[in-house]
Amino acid sequence: MVRVLNFFCVALMGLSILALYHVSEKTRVAHLTLSKVERDIAQEKSHLSVLETEWQHVAAPARIQKLAVSRLGMDDSASVQLSSFDLLPRRSSEPAPLNNTPLLNASAQVPAAAAPVPPTSDSGM
Amino acid sequence: MSDAPTIFQRRILIGAGLCVVAFALVGLRLVHVTLLSTWDNGRAATAIAARADLTDRNGELLARDLPVKDLYARPAVFWDKAEAARGLSEATGASEARLLRAFNTAKSPYVLVSRQITPDAEARAMALGLPGLEFERGAKRYYPDGRTTAQVLGVTDPDGGGVSGLELGLQDELRKVPGGKVATSIDMRVQFIVADEMAKSREKFRAVAAGAVVMDVTSGEVLAMVSLPDFDPNLRRLNRGDSQRNIMAQDVYELGSIFKIFTFAMGLEDRTFRPDDVLTIPRGYKIGKHEIGEAHVMPGSMSAWDILAQSSNIGTSQIALRSGGQRQSQFLRSLGLLTPLVTELPEKAYPLYPKRQWGAIETVTVGYGHGISVSPLSFTAALATVVNGGRRIIPTFERQENGADRRGEQVIREETSIKMREMLRYVATNGTGHNADTPGYAVGGKTGTAEVPGPNGRYIKNALRSSFAAVFPMHAPRYAVLVLMDQPKATKDTFGFATAGHTAAPQAGRIIQRIAPLLGVPNIPVPTKLAAVPAP
Repeated sequence: MVRVLNFFCVALMGLSILALYHVSEKTRVAHLTLSKVERDIAQEKSHLSVLETEWQHVAAPARIQKLAVSRLGMDDSASVQLSSFDLLPRRSSEPAPLNNTPLLNASAQVPAAAAPVPPTSDSGM
Repeated sequence: MSDAPTIFQRRILIGAGLCVVAFALVGLRLVHVTLLSTWDNGRAATAIAARADLTDRNGELLARDLPVKDLYARPAVFWDKAEAARGLSEATGASEARLLRAFNTAKSPYVLVSRQITPDAEARAMALGLPGLEFERGAKRYYPDGRTTAQVLGVTDPDGGGVSGLELGLQDELRKVPGGKVATSIDMRVQFIVADEMAKSREKFRAVAAGAVVMDVTSGEVLAMVSLPDFDPNLRRLNRGDSQRNIMAQDVYELGSIFKIFTFAMGLEDRTFRPDDVLTIPRGYKIGKHEIGEAHVMPGSMSAWDILAQSSNIGTSQIALRSGGQRQSQFLRSLGLLTPLVTELPEKAYPLYPKRQWGAIETVTVGYGHGISVSPLSFTAALATVVNGGRRIIPTFERQENGADRRGEQVIREETSIKMREMLRYVATNGTGHNADTPGYAVGGKTGTAEVPGPNGRYIKNALRSSFAAVFPMHAPRYAVLVLMDQPKATKDTFGFATAGHTAAPQAGRIIQRIAPLLGVPNIPVPTKLAAVPAP
């Protein structure tokens, strides 16, 4: 009986060692996977950071203005805003203006500055 | 005698079996570790950025650390050092002579080949197949908007330390949160428009230098600061004609007639005149042995409104003298004009003013902006103080909460501030600043044309410094704009004049016309054909 018990204990110990080793191995592998995923995340973040910077570069106002002038033929003409953007009516909130209804918000083109008048003296001080 | 093993023999066998199993396990693990495992294990992901991003007030990226690599070589393992130096020079752009010298005389086992190499250069270096090359991960500061923000943001050194501008001024905050974000007060849209307009005007008037500042008069936030000539912060070197000097914060100038704003504010505060008072304007105005003259012909008598609007030196001198030199000095000090301005920018300018004697002649000349030199940024802050209800403003380059009120102590009475707004509006509608008036935005301001002192202390003939100090909208001031042009040249459009009314004022108007809608400044409708209601 004692012999059987001893054998059982030794077998249990052996199994425990194996189980422990298995768990430890799994943990190590999981740790490796985690490290790899973390590295991949860092790598992707780095790529994202580069992409965001590239986007900022290509969407820079100077670049957009240059393209708008050269490709779309747009001009930096002086316009006067008659109302703040916040005050413009929302879409569909009001019926479309009927014929002969005056427009309340509109833009108009005006010269960039008042037409220059030759001064009689140096009056620009 | 039985052949069966005794109990001791069985125990020995069991023990031996266990040992065999244990050693087998150790052997298996060794095989696994040495042959089957990859080398790529366990290293934690490392952060690349050493500094936080700089963003504008709307979260647009202004500066960021990008991953790069530094290339090091171990010359001891090169078979042919000359060939290695030649190959690495071609791959990275490093000097071949320097590399060869370093390979032959290196005291340490590693030699720096090139810093912050691009992925292309890295691939070229790898393709050489040289042993002993090592790449160290690092970061390079990149500025997506290049020159547009160069002067105000400044640059970092190759080790990631701030050298100038906000990169140095906000160093502690930037290092506190690597990879995070630090928001500045700059509005990239406004910054671009100001830079664009100033570059155009500098070219048009062939000015030596030009600059502009846009500031919120209540929060003191600087929305844009441009200084030309500028430089490309991504190049790490200056090309011909480039400059790293921020003239708006680092330099002091005699700003000329825009200083009359403070003389008039002082007079109103001291109640030494009323705007409707009429003053006699003689042909010349003698102060001791000095005679004050006008830049152009003035009527024999003018109201205070017109003295400011037409920028009469003699009229302003009389107003300055009514308060006196001591009071003038105290008043300018209370506006912060006689002490260096402390902001997040490390660039600082020390004002120049009469220190030994502040007598009658000094009072007069300071009254119209000569004999005193301040930085344009200091001036803009003082202007904001005058129009914002009279409370002191210290500029800031850090983003504040929307609607933040950073106004400090009361420097002038509120009624003085309101009266000054009216007078500045009058300058734009009826005076020398009419070219800055922008329909719908109630611009007010003052022109300033100063002569430029030469190296011998005398003024250079025909060299002018033109400026325009603007505020809008004048009935409820929100933004101050200062435009400065150093030695602009007259053009056909300006009828041969290079004074501020013809050079700086129209530029200020153009800037306001473009930035006001973006900043959501309410527009005062002006009558147009489109708005007219047809008669029934």
